[in-house]
Amino acid sequence: MKDRLAAALKTSRADYTEIRVERTWSSAVTFRGRRLETATVSEDQGGFVRALNRGCGWGIASFTSLDALPAMVGRANQLSRAVRLDKPISLAETVPQVADAALDLDGDVRGISLAEKKKLIEAYNGAMLAVSDAVVDTSAIYRDEVSEVWYVNSEGTALAQLRPEVSISGTAIARRDGTIEKGLESIGLRKGWRSVHGLEERFRIVAQRAVDLLDAPRVQGGAYPVILDNELAGVFVHEAFGHLSEADFVYENPQAREMMTLGRRFGKPVLNVGDNGAASGLRGTLPYDDEGTPTQDTPLIKEGMLVGRLHSRETAAALGERPTGNARAISFRHAPIVRMTNTYIAPGRAGATREDLIKDVKLGVYACGAFGGQTMLENFSFTAAWGHMIRDGHVAEMVKDVVLAGNLFQTLDRIDHIAGDFTWNQMGGGCGKGGQFPLPVTEGAPHVRIEEILVGGDV
Amino acid sequence: MIDQLLKAAKCADALWRREERTSIAFESGRLKTAGITEEAGINLRVMAEGRMGVAGTTAATPDLEALVARARASAELGEHLDLAFPPTSSLPSVPTFFDRAANASLDQLIALGRGLVERLAREGCQVNVAIEREVGETAVGNTAGARGGYPATGVAVTAEIIRIASDDVLMIYDQYVGGDLPSGGDLEALVRSIETRLEPALTIVSPPEGALPVVFTPAGLAAVVLPLEQALSGKTVIQGSSPLAARVGEQAFDTRLSITDDPLAPGGPASRPLDDECVPSARTALVDRGIVRGFVYDLETAARAKARSTGHGRRGVFGKPQIRYTNLIVGEASRDVGAQHAAPLLGGGLIADITDGLIVDDLIGVGQGNVIGGGFSHPVGLAYRVQRGEITGRVKDAAVAGNVYDLLKSIAGFGSDGRWLGSRWSASLRLDGVSVARR
Repeated sequence: MKDRLAAALKTSRADYTEIRVERTWSSAVTFRGRRLETATVSEDQGGFVRALNRGCGWGIASFTSLDALPAMVGRANQLSRAVRLDKPISLAETVPQVADAALDLDGDVRGISLAEKKKLIEAYNGAMLAVSDAVVDTSAIYRDEVSEVWYVNSEGTALAQLRPEVSISGTAIARRDGTIEKGLESIGLRKGWRSVHGLEERFRIVAQRAVDLLDAPRVQGGAYPVILDNELAGVFVHEAFGHLSEADFVYENPQAREMMTLGRRFGKPVLNVGDNGAASGLRGTLPYDDEGTPTQDTPLIKEGMLVGRLHSRETAAALGERPTGNARAISFRHAPIVRMTNTYIAPGRAGATREDLIKDVKLGVYACGAFGGQTMLENFSFTAAWGHMIRDGHVAEMVKDVVLAGNLFQTLDRIDHIAGDFTWNQMGGGCGKGGQFPLPVTEGAPHVRIEEILVGGDV
Repeated sequence: MIDQLLKAAKCADALWRREERTSIAFESGRLKTAGITEEAGINLRVMAEGRMGVAGTTAATPDLEALVARARASAELGEHLDLAFPPTSSLPSVPTFFDRAANASLDQLIALGRGLVERLAREGCQVNVAIEREVGETAVGNTAGARGGYPATGVAVTAEIIRIASDDVLMIYDQYVGGDLPSGGDLEALVRSIETRLEPALTIVSPPEGALPVVFTPAGLAAVVLPLEQALSGKTVIQGSSPLAARVGEQAFDTRLSITDDPLAPGGPASRPLDDECVPSARTALVDRGIVRGFVYDLETAARAKARSTGHGRRGVFGKPQIRYTNLIVGEASRDVGAQHAAPLLGGGLIADITDGLIVDDLIGVGQGNVIGGGFSHPVGLAYRVQRGEITGRVKDAAVAGNVYDLLKSIAGFGSDGRWLGSRWSASLRLDGVSVARR
């Protein structure tokens, strides 16, 4: 395949050309309630060409028919030439990479029968349904894929990558009269068949939680001290800061550049944040990004100060910084844009526990698990799966509908304690941006305390 | 290809779809990218011994036998299902293909975008505009003899203004989505809609607190409509999780609320003559003057619910058909659905008697809570304070919460600013007694 791409590349008349071809083998087994919804095997393939000429913009072509590759190289060049630019686009220099990078398949999912996958997810689904008659509906999804990705560009980079992925998710819906609650478990790994066994207990727990939430009151709205558990703290850093650190938000906007000046203080000295696409075995991990740049650990906040941001080659050149290996595309249907990989809040003092964060809180909220999060840059939301009130330094009654309303400039700066109990959240799902969803990412964090944040709800 | 495939598969239905998309993107007012996407694929569903299986491929010259074998293997694990493919029938007529959109050149699309960028340009504001034009062709068929197909065009124009002033980030977004290129009036409406929201947003005021009247704009309405969309889906009905399943014929909502799905709406962004399972398109009344009338079904959910498919099967290349709404019309039954008001009033004319309240245009995190239960709780993304009948400015750091099943029992009114937003038509909706929390 590399030879085929190299040959197509030679025909390009553009100043810069890159070609990405993907072949993805995937299978999925889905249960809804007691019923099997689908069990399918799919094969998807296609290509992507991007061309750039001096004084012109990007020309892009994506296609499912690989026979069209040579023609598409020509189309991308034409499209680039149709876009006249006064201020040229330049790409930051990178060292051309030539490599075959196959991630460990950890039990190749392609060799396992659909019947075996069905048996596995049926057991997890059954664990949720067995919890209580109040569990009226479930959804349980097993999904895996192995994608082969070939990438070449006209600067000499030629890469072949093999990327496995497996995810298991379960939703339990509990109902009593008019009250309906849900519990959600989601596991996503850049691994294979060997890594998804023995998880029944986790599915039982989320179904039980959905049942427990039927009796929990809604949290009362207002500003509280809030302790985030590891999972929600991970979602928090992704939404609160991760998206702001993506340089495509600032590189064309002078006011945004000023707002995000390196060296600006965003938090107290306890706060350290980074993004590490090279971390081993995580869902956001890749040896190279979709521009062929090696991934790395990029510090973003160091002791409360902004020290870095995430780049593609274009944004790095525009800001005079170095590419960080964060140009990613969800598939051959899309151009690479600046994205996170594995984003984390570094652990605080070793040995500092959740109890240390809670013990001097008189009235607060312990917000746990994550249903999701979304950002509008300055303002963002993140939704806990459940919560507990904190009363006089102790975790008290369960509450539901805990949605936190964050503000970039206030919330980060109000993080005053960080525990030492760091974990990566190996969640499924993914991140959405610019019409590209779901992108596999991971977040990691210890327990984190925010002195004060707005919790939505009845007042 | 469909005929060949169906012959090989015995009891089956199939969809073939081809799409060519042209897109251009202006970043910070500058045209930076032009692109095309070409995609074609086949989705096959077979029934084998009363079990359903599916398979799909994007291969240019697919191995049809292998595809059938893959679908059969998928059926081996499947559950029993009494699924009857619909026989051939006459199809309603609805325009889906517009020459002007199909024939627009890249330069024409660029000129359209450039015009929009110039009209939206403001000192200190970043303007991003994207235009996407799609030309596609769909063919469906089944072994009961039904065949159907149609060409389609689609155009999406999105515009976004980002204004950063020291640490204040303001983002205002709007879109045009339709089968044809936008008319001069459509573009004017898009520009005015952004301007109308930009000017009062330049002043920041403190948010109110309490159980207050809140006007949800057509964009802000998403959090209110989403639980209803889930509850009115045949899928949640057969799963036993729809709060409306047992309430057909009941007055569940205020008499001013009607919800209709209309795949035949003239010029509707999701209009088409038949669905992806060969079921002819027809209007479906879901809620009529507050009374629950029915649900949307595809073939499978209809078979399981012992109901009839309403023609809401939608399939991609991979996976089985799923229920998808077409053009969803939300509002008062008597109101006409048509062209957007050229100069809509922010608040839809619903704020004159509000002493203290909010206009909510965008909420953050919609869809991430306990949607099926009807509860919502979201920080505001873009919202305005209303005091003594006037908009006094934009509020930040506030959150609204409530339960749509409680709130929709009594509606304070729909506004005069009905419009398409994607494939949903609605006007602003005022609900009284929505919880507003602030820091």
